[in-house]
Amino acid sequence: MDSLHAIGFYVSAALAGVGGILLAFLHGHWHRGLALGAVGLGVAGIYASLSAGFAAIVVLFCYIGCALLVARPDYRTVEQAAGGLWRQIGALGAALLLVVLAYAAFRGRFALATFYGGPFNSVSVARLLFAHDALATEAVAGVVLVALVGAAIAWRRERPRDEREGRR
Amino acid sequence: MSVTLVSVLFVAAGLTALGAFIAAWKRELTAALTGLPVMFAGAGVAFVGVARFGATSGAPALGQEVAVLLAIAALAAVGLGVGLAGRESSR
Repeated sequence: MDSLHAIGFYVSAALAGVGGILLAFLHGHWHRGLALGAVGLGVAGIYASLSAGFAAIVVLFCYIGCALLVARPDYRTVEQAAGGLWRQIGALGAALLLVVLAYAAFRGRFALATFYGGPFNSVSVARLLFAHDALATEAVAGVVLVALVGAAIAWRRERPRDEREGRR
Repeated sequence: MSVTLVSVLFVAAGLTALGAFIAAWKRELTAALTGLPVMFAGAGVAFVGVARFGATSGAPALGQEVAVLLAIAALAAVGLGVGLAGRESSR
């Protein structure tokens, strides 16, 4: 891997990390959408610098879609029932997870192999998606279909209060 | 300056832990849901890193395939969460 790819990797990783931190601490739908878009851009850059161009494009589209959904101004605000103590325990658990994963990455003995794929790899990924692992792709497609149908039904059921009152 | 599998896994660990932190820390449920794509991104980075640096000649694109599926699943999860939260009433 040359220096240009390495610089791209670290810049993209920094963008994803900063986007994630902003996502954790910013308030407001638009701000969260922008932060999630920054995370998606950073992750797509990481993938592109790791010779996974096709995955980078898919991730960019998916995360822009996530960002647009999160940035919508008209969904309800639902507060968690868990108190501050449980949230702090969860945050400590996340820190513990970081320590464990970083320790595993640092101490692990990994086998290194020479990479023979190209920078984009759309043919080999498509061959895996639609031939070798077609069942997994269909399972994910089924999950996506159920999720989108469920979301559409739930979204249609929630009416504005004045509209419901007007029907009575 | 170079990128190794260890540095990729460090980034993946950071993104996964950051997603877990967002999911645990945010009080609003739809905001907490945004931690899920970040966690999936961390998992995807780990898969792509292993495919780039550690995969043998058998299936080098397997990690990229899993990353694609994870991104699609993240989009579906966010769509379902926002849909279940429902529309804000006008008053």
